[in-house]
Amino acid sequence: MIGNYNPENVKAAAKELAPAKENLLLQIWRNRKARIGLIIFGFFIILGALGHFYTPYPATYDNFRPWLAPSIKHWFGTDYDGHDVFSQFMYGTGVSLYVGAAVAFIAVTLGTVVGLISGYYGGLVDNFLMRFVDILLILPTFPLLVILSTYFKPTITSTIIVIGILSWPFMSRVIRSQILTVRQRPFVQAAILAGLPGYKIMFKEIFKFTLPLIIINAVYIFVGAIVAQAGLAFFGLGDLASVNWGTMLYYAQSEDAVIYFAWWWIVPPGVAIALLGVAANIFGNGITEVFGERAGEI
Amino acid sequence: MITRRYLVVRTTYAIVTAFIAITINFLLPRLIPGNPADVILFANYHYIPPGKAKLLEAQFGLTTNNLGIEFYDYLKQLFLHFNLGLSFSYYPATVAQLIESHLPWTLYLLGVSILLSSVLGVIVGRWIGWRAGSRSESVTSSIFIGLTSLPYFWLAIIFILLFAFMIPIFPLAGSFAITVTPGLTISFISSVITHSLLPIITLVITTFPAFALTMRNTMVNQNKEDYLMMARARGLPRHVIEKKYAARNAILPVTTHIVLAFGYIVAGAFFVEVVFSYQGIGYLLYKAVTSYDYPLVDGIFLMITITVIIANFLADMLYAILDPRVELR
Repeated sequence: MIGNYNPENVKAAAKELAPAKENLLLQIWRNRKARIGLIIFGFFIILGALGHFYTPYPATYDNFRPWLAPSIKHWFGTDYDGHDVFSQFMYGTGVSLYVGAAVAFIAVTLGTVVGLISGYYGGLVDNFLMRFVDILLILPTFPLLVILSTYFKPTITSTIIVIGILSWPFMSRVIRSQILTVRQRPFVQAAILAGLPGYKIMFKEIFKFTLPLIIINAVYIFVGAIVAQAGLAFFGLGDLASVNWGTMLYYAQSEDAVIYFAWWWIVPPGVAIALLGVAANIFGNGITEVFGERAGEI
Repeated sequence: MITRRYLVVRTTYAIVTAFIAITINFLLPRLIPGNPADVILFANYHYIPPGKAKLLEAQFGLTTNNLGIEFYDYLKQLFLHFNLGLSFSYYPATVAQLIESHLPWTLYLLGVSILLSSVLGVIVGRWIGWRAGSRSESVTSSIFIGLTSLPYFWLAIIFILLFAFMIPIFPLAGSFAITVTPGLTISFISSVITHSLLPIITLVITTFPAFALTMRNTMVNQNKEDYLMMARARGLPRHVIEKKYAARNAILPVTTHIVLAFGYIVAGAFFVEVVFSYQGIGYLLYKAVTSYDYPLVDGIFLMITITVIIANFLADMLYAILDPRVELR
């Protein structure tokens, strides 16, 4: 987990979350920290989306002179093979963000469903699921990713699936403990007495109380997945034909960018990853404040 | 306090998890489509020499088609003989021998780094935690959040670029200079130390902020406690309250983090050792992965998992001893 995200703070805030009085999105935007985080995310999302359709030069075009320093023509210079680094960076941003988003989707779905079921039904189901989660939490994720990538020839999709499957356990635990407290509240008890089916209670009555937790976890998993994918690719354990932040760093390392002092090739992907990490942390803190305020309004 | 129930439950977890890790280790080579021996030979030689395939199958324990019997043999070899098989790429060295010869380097490099970063983290974290809300604290915390977000391997490359190339004060890579012969000589030891400085510095820079931020958060929580108000009411000097009262209690959760960090020594060695070509377990794993040395990959993964499981177990125990309020969920 990155940074100092503390699930206890969010849980405290989420505990008293009541039906919206003000537009939630507007309130998030008014929070300075959340806004800074969103702006950084927005910048990269726009850059990545744009890079999917347009780059100054084609990302795979390699007939420029190699090792050119940054200039007006090549903002981030060129690499060992004569690619335009800025074009690669733009295109790679889209791929890296796609990996993050896809992993977040898989992990958040699994984490939320397991957390909901475990917390709502309790008893044996809960016991079984949470012991399973305990075990998954202990297994060291990165080495596991490394050995899985040796056994199964990695593609972007397989990397997404593997990281996704390994990213949900922590989240499911946080969701579960939230459900445990919500479940005791009168309106849930009333719904149970009224004979509403379990899935309806879970998704209509309880689900919204997990929203802050879901948002924050999604953001952390998103960034965590980008870092994990970049790490794997950096060590040559990803799909090396794909252009993304990780493979850019991989080629920079294997083609001795350091010896040519090609800092323009090394710096952008690392700074981008760090910026996303910072954005996740600031946004997380901001969201915690927003939900704290909302709880206070009631 | 460790109750009997706590001990039993935690031990059971540890054993079950270890068993699952061993099972994964056993199953993975058998999950590859086709015969693993063929796959490996094909990857190495691009055709399948008939004699070699039989040999490999025997080494993998693929002598029968009965998964149960194979698993039984695997467990027997593992527990009775600590036999993790032979390495392909370092033939005829065994996996156990390779781990044994590479482990000390990792323990030294990562052990020193974690020790330094945890001490630094606790001291700095206490300082900023006690000043939470001030300008200097918020600036420091923001910088720390930025540092924890940096990908380690990236920072390592930048440091090599700056401090081994541009200003060549540190050696580029390796665990010691090739000109010295290993032994208990001053030139060898000093070579080992100078080669480990840059890896250690980069590791400490990226890991201590996490300890510091944890320490900061628990310090802030301590601030709200009644006993601190009592201490203030008694007129104790601020620095005494900070060091002897708040920090003492705040250090509990940090201790668990530190114990866990030591457990992840081997798991965390990967990045640093690969970037610096430092001959420890992480580098060995990298070599094994890139040369499709499956027995070696498996053996190292098993060792990593077991150390992590043991560290988790110890952290749980330590926490229960240090904080008697901890009850089993």
